[in-house]
Amino acid sequence: MSFENLKSLLLYNKEELILFNSAFFLYFFATFLFCYQLARKNERARVWVFTLFSLYFFYKACNEYVLLVILSAIVDFYISNRIHTEQKDIIRKRLLWFSVVINVGMLCYFKYTNFFIQIVNDVTAGNISPVNLILPIGISFYTFENLSYTVDVYRKEIKPVDKFMDYLFFLSFFPKLMMGPIVRAADFIPQIRQAYVLNMEDVGKGMFLIISGLFKKVVLSDFINQNFVQYIFDDPGRYSGLECLFGVYAYALVIYCDFSGYSDMAIGIARWVGFKLPPNFNKPYQSSSITEFWRRWHISLSSWLKDYIYIPLGGNRKGTFRQYVNLFLTMLIGGFWHGASWNFIFWGGVHGGALGIDKIWIQWQKTRTWMRSTPLRARLWKAGGVLFTFHLVCFCWIFFRMEHFSGAWALLHQVVFEFQGHLLPQLLNAYPQVFTLMATGYFLHFLPEVAEKKLEGRLQVMPVWASVAVMILFIWFLNEVKTLEPMIPIYLQF
Amino acid sequence: MIVLGTLLGLAVISLVNNTITFGSYTLRPLDILADLRRQQPDGDTITVAAIPAGADSLETDSAGMHIPKDFATYTGILDYGFNAGDKGAGMQYFMHALKELKTGRRKKVRIAYFGDSMIEGDLITADLRDSLQAYFGGEGVGFVPATSVVSGFRTTISHSFSPNWTDYHFRNNPPAGTELGPSGHAFVPAPESWVRYQPVKHHRLDQFEEISLLYGSGHRNIVVNNKSLELNGKGKINAYSFVTDSSQRSLTLKFNNNNPALFYGVCFESLNGIFLDNYSFRGISGIELGKLSRSMWDQVQSVRPYDLIVLHYGANVLFLPENTRFDWYEKPMVKVVDSLRRYFPHTSILIVGTADKAYKKKGKYVTAPGVKALMKVQHKFAESRSIAYWNLFSAMGGEGAMTRWVDTAMANKDYTHFNFRGASKVGALLYKAIMDEYQQADM
Repeated sequence: MSFENLKSLLLYNKEELILFNSAFFLYFFATFLFCYQLARKNERARVWVFTLFSLYFFYKACNEYVLLVILSAIVDFYISNRIHTEQKDIIRKRLLWFSVVINVGMLCYFKYTNFFIQIVNDVTAGNISPVNLILPIGISFYTFENLSYTVDVYRKEIKPVDKFMDYLFFLSFFPKLMMGPIVRAADFIPQIRQAYVLNMEDVGKGMFLIISGLFKKVVLSDFINQNFVQYIFDDPGRYSGLECLFGVYAYALVIYCDFSGYSDMAIGIARWVGFKLPPNFNKPYQSSSITEFWRRWHISLSSWLKDYIYIPLGGNRKGTFRQYVNLFLTMLIGGFWHGASWNFIFWGGVHGGALGIDKIWIQWQKTRTWMRSTPLRARLWKAGGVLFTFHLVCFCWIFFRMEHFSGAWALLHQVVFEFQGHLLPQLLNAYPQVFTLMATGYFLHFLPEVAEKKLEGRLQVMPVWASVAVMILFIWFLNEVKTLEPMIPIYLQF
Repeated sequence: MIVLGTLLGLAVISLVNNTITFGSYTLRPLDILADLRRQQPDGDTITVAAIPAGADSLETDSAGMHIPKDFATYTGILDYGFNAGDKGAGMQYFMHALKELKTGRRKKVRIAYFGDSMIEGDLITADLRDSLQAYFGGEGVGFVPATSVVSGFRTTISHSFSPNWTDYHFRNNPPAGTELGPSGHAFVPAPESWVRYQPVKHHRLDQFEEISLLYGSGHRNIVVNNKSLELNGKGKINAYSFVTDSSQRSLTLKFNNNNPALFYGVCFESLNGIFLDNYSFRGISGIELGKLSRSMWDQVQSVRPYDLIVLHYGANVLFLPENTRFDWYEKPMVKVVDSLRRYFPHTSILIVGTADKAYKKKGKYVTAPGVKALMKVQHKFAESRSIAYWNLFSAMGGEGAMTRWVDTAMANKDYTHFNFRGASKVGALLYKAIMDEYQQADM
């Protein structure tokens, strides 16, 4: 062992992202828990320890951009307090707009500058060179958290926090730093005051979330993505429609497991340190309509969009037509939030359009009760709805995953015109591990909640040594999966 | 407590040697302290032939003998034709043909480019053909099979066909007597089968001029753009060539009769210039070429005389990245090369060595150990068989090149195949290597 290696490990390194499933995080978390235990008796000390560790985590993830978090915390803390004490409406409004402009401006600057430069170049045939910006990690999440906090204060729904450190703690809380969930200050701040005591339920639930999150992320998502999905999406023209279709199904699982797995880990870790965050995903592919899907997918984002974009736009209060327009606009913005490209806008647009059509469909059905008059009919409609919703969502994922439209069209072309269904046995033979994992993933996804609760219960009543053993065996298993030799893509003979 | 316990437990496991074997399955070692240890540089296990100092380029001595010093890093073509009494099997026959074409003493020069999925959809070959035609003249995409799994992917011709063709090829079991063509396929039309080719909007590919239909033995009637045509094949592979008038924007062939005579494909050329036929077959290692009969090769040479044969294989030999033994590949491939040399005594043969291929090791993508071992094998048979060799691995940047190509969006995430941009670059590199030879050739 050498001191220099240790030092370079502790400093920011752009090659090595800090992820919950990295060995570094294990050390970080153990050190943090140790210090946090020491400070558990004193609320202020706890806040300081946690905030310093969070800021270090930020630094490790994105170097000097850690200052952006601190800066935006200062600005929003100050503005919110001014809004709270100010009596004149016009000034309150101006202050709110100031905060919105700062936050949205910061987000746009880092995330969308090059996208807009590209548009200007395309329209004017100009030649502005793109700026060299690195997207600061987590910026999409903490700007949204800032916004919701300031708006809530403006709407007089919450009182602003009086201690700056509390606000910085909320904003920089490391479990949710990289991939959310988007936490509301109103849910979070009161928990700072609570004493740090964990009961068996917290430990068991946290452990369940962390283990299932790691399983989803490392075993299901990373493995299937690396050994199947990325091949198909890289070059769909080389694969038959059947392979492309399974590639899309696999990607639907990959993106869900990646995103929800990471959220689960964040929520589980938060639980272990004494914070309850609301669930972010709730088996989205079980949805029987697109409206339901958005109540189950990335819940913290969709509820944010609803509260701070859809409702301010007028929601459903300005007539049916405006409601559809509002839905569509909200989803368009939601799509754009995911990334600076036309693909994401298109993705959001299709979802927005589908939500509108779903609203009409629900209205139309209301008068036609015969459609669901018997249990069998109702069940058939539900199954059909689940299948349809899943395929609609899958269709949209193609555009979400592909960098360019041409790739998405190429993939769809293969599915429609080059399906070659007879290749199925060959395909299953070529990627046995991938398809076993995929089947497992979808099976678990459609498992009733009772089974999960049972496992959770088991983990809750386990003694410490057993928990340690489970964790060790599980991490060992993860190491096995991670170091498996990647499989090579196989070009089937159509 | 749990976290500390887990960490301690893992640390203990890491410190002791923890490779455990269950039956035939060995667990990989777990080492969470690995990052803290000093990295031992991995020794390069493949030793390259001893290189005299300062001899990393070709030297020409007074007799015009090329003495390659280091095949592993040289990025040009190594012509081992000079090693043998028969100089031509290296690049010389081809260079001679190019000179004749350039000086107007010859009308056509033709290349047969054999490969696997790396050249599928006219990747690499499209750019090489385009550059060669820009310099030496000629228009047209060369050979296009009757049906293809990647017709939608190919950008150099628009190609569609009815779904009712039967495709016999290297990988299924053609009935006895089915002669596979040089592409590794032989197609049998059903009644009502059709195939349509249309030129694409690209310089040198935007019109059809001379068209040749390649078909097997036997009698059949086909309809060519609504005109009936009777074809009677006497040999195993036959060509019917005609010149289209420029108003014809597409070629449609309809196969109406019930006679299941074999059909191979169509070639598109102009009357003068250089032409390149892409013979791609996904998933093969090259040894499959040994399945073609001697008489098929002979007749290929009489219907479509080739001046250069390129063999571009390797991706499917490296299916296990850590395997470095290729006996199963070397012997049959040498046989293929030997028979090609016998069947095509006045044709140059060029081996394009394996490209770099990376695989994930300890979380990073690195050059697979098999790459350099395969490169050595391919070089060895090029040298011992006195043909030409081009090291694609070193031309694309050597060690770790594939990772860099993936990072710069020139290759796919499988760390094996080039995308359109990367293939274009490889085509340009090969063109440059050929042209360097051409400039140096003194004839």
